[in-house]
Amino acid sequence: MGRRSPPHLHGGCSVLPRAPNSEAVVSKKLTIFLPLAGAAVLAAAALADSLPPDATYRPLPTLPLDVVKANDEAQKPQVMERQRAVLEQRYDLSDHPIPNVMMSGGRKPVQGGVRVKLPAGVSWDSLSSMTPDEIRERGLLPAGFMPLPHVKQATGGQVFPNNQIDEINRQEGRNIRRFDVDFDLPDRFTPEFPPPIFLTSHPELGDVSHGQLLTIKNYYQLMVGILTPVQMEGLRLLLTPFPQEEFNQTEDRKSADQSLGVTCLDCHANFHTNAAFHQTPDVRPQAARFRLDTVSLRGLFNQQIHGSKRSLRSVEDFTQFEQRTAYFNGDHVSAQRKGVNLPDRFDQVPMMAQMQNVIDFPPAPKLDPSGRLDPSKATQQELAGERVFLGKGRCAACHVPQTSFMDNNMHDLKLERFYDIGQTVNALVMLPDGPIKTFTLRGIKDSPPYMHDGRLPTLADTVEFFNLVLGLKLTQDEKDSLVAYMLTL
Amino acid sequence: MIRLPAVTLLTVLLMPALVVPALAQPSNPAGPAPGNPAGLAPGTRESAPGVPASRQTNVPDRTFTREAAIGGAAEVDLAWLATQKASSRPVQEFAQQMIQDHGGANDRLSALAQADGIRLPAGLDAEHAAMRRQLEQANGTEFDRAYIQGQIIDHQKAAQLLEYEIGSGENAELKNFASDILPVVLRHLRMAQAVAAGLYGAAETSPRPQEQQKQ
Repeated sequence: MGRRSPPHLHGGCSVLPRAPNSEAVVSKKLTIFLPLAGAAVLAAAALADSLPPDATYRPLPTLPLDVVKANDEAQKPQVMERQRAVLEQRYDLSDHPIPNVMMSGGRKPVQGGVRVKLPAGVSWDSLSSMTPDEIRERGLLPAGFMPLPHVKQATGGQVFPNNQIDEINRQEGRNIRRFDVDFDLPDRFTPEFPPPIFLTSHPELGDVSHGQLLTIKNYYQLMVGILTPVQMEGLRLLLTPFPQEEFNQTEDRKSADQSLGVTCLDCHANFHTNAAFHQTPDVRPQAARFRLDTVSLRGLFNQQIHGSKRSLRSVEDFTQFEQRTAYFNGDHVSAQRKGVNLPDRFDQVPMMAQMQNVIDFPPAPKLDPSGRLDPSKATQQELAGERVFLGKGRCAACHVPQTSFMDNNMHDLKLERFYDIGQTVNALVMLPDGPIKTFTLRGIKDSPPYMHDGRLPTLADTVEFFNLVLGLKLTQDEKDSLVAYMLTL
Repeated sequence: MIRLPAVTLLTVLLMPALVVPALAQPSNPAGPAPGNPAGLAPGTRESAPGVPASRQTNVPDRTFTREAAIGGAAEVDLAWLATQKASSRPVQEFAQQMIQDHGGANDRLSALAQADGIRLPAGLDAEHAAMRRQLEQANGTEFDRAYIQGQIIDHQKAAQLLEYEIGSGENAELKNFASDILPVVLRHLRMAQAVAAGLYGAAETSPRPQEQQKQ
């Protein structure tokens, strides 16, 4: 009898009874195998009636732009109110900065405290003493730990914070404001703007941004004499706008005017992040596309995999590909219609990559060369936090200090152990995240909100999240010390 | 053998009000989020700008309704067959659950389709008719495996289809329906996968009597 394929149940077809391996089986045995053959035919037939094509491909608009725009603008207050209600239900977004802790540019305080709200009747301690099954069955996972929806899930696309929109308008006269949605998070939970820029090629200079946002208008005067010709050309390309799904010249856009497009650094402001968000390019249909919070490009030189889901093996691949698919939509077909940029792999992509690869982390004066705290500089609480980080907290299993607090791997936290999948929250379907890339923790106080989708507003939230997800049972002192430690990174 | 239209009719007649609580409860209290107005069909009546009036549908709404109705009817029909032919208890129980859950969901969808003026196909589509013919010929463990394998595929497709409606539809009632049903369908998928794992796991340790005797 033919071998059975192992019961890998994800692949559908892989569990089908297989026809026997031997081709020599002939009519004598045909009756025996008839039911099996029938099952195989059945599977082929089952796949014949396929799902709608626009479950994968972006559909063309069915109405003229002026009608769509009027409708979008009319809906906008309701759209923003829905998202505000989601945030309000999940988080305490009030202003409680940690005393005397600023982001690396020294201009913006770091918000403190656990901001994810608990369900009624439980404490963080009582929650962490329950099993995942119990939390799931009683519906007790804090809503703020679950995937965070895009402000308008059905439409999706890039959404920039107002400080970025205003500054790009001021410097370039280029419009990256959408008529259908605004940025949703309060400014205090985003990185300082504009962020400082640190170069691996010039550690002695410190922040070279002059307190300005790098744009196509000012990059030359800011960087000539500091960068190489190759880096300068890479920078120019990273600051040149190209058509994108929501910002282009066609009727399928969300900018009022025929937009010149967006640039790489419109999200990765000054090679860091301004918390602009989007949806993953790597999932369909639309309702299942999870939110993506822009990742910082600091320390890219040590990062071996790129893209939270795709694990692209070089920044060259990533850079080229995102230009091709209209910035993070994973749809080369639609991008082609709006005007893709196809940077030359030999003369342009390497320069863009080399520019990105000289962006350094902010200085961490308390860390020694191997990424460990210098006991002569760190406080007792910070040192205690490092011990938790390396030991009971199991943080360093993935965030390895000597490799820039990452491990160049993807991991699945299996959060779905704690909640019933398939619920819809503001049009985003709550599904398992699957494996996600480990992000660096160097300079982490500069990068709120946290996790790949920005679902956690503060570092204290991340401690409670991992305390629950990894079953750590940390004491309050241990949690506080971990936060203190992460502020030194 | 009971023919399929009779079974489907019987289901509808016997279980008109039997809506399973899990399916009937709106799990989406905030109501469906607005869709992308760019996907609104030209000429759609609107209750507010960009918000389709009640009972207005776009192409994804209608595509979804048709596909979901076909899948739902086949689900119940094949489940009745399984209650007659399945040899293992987990498969029997799974089929009973399908009759119960999908029967209620089908009624709700039929009512919505009727209200929205969407004509639904009668009887099984070609794909599921072929599946039924194959299942009618299978017996014992072969039946169980073929049935549950078909269920895994159908529930995978159903989940994606429901997500498609949640993201691309415009009709509030249909989107609510999809949001309510999706968690149940995903639960069914996990159940079917567990049942299948049990069936195949058993085969790993003890070869099926049928095969031994024929070889």
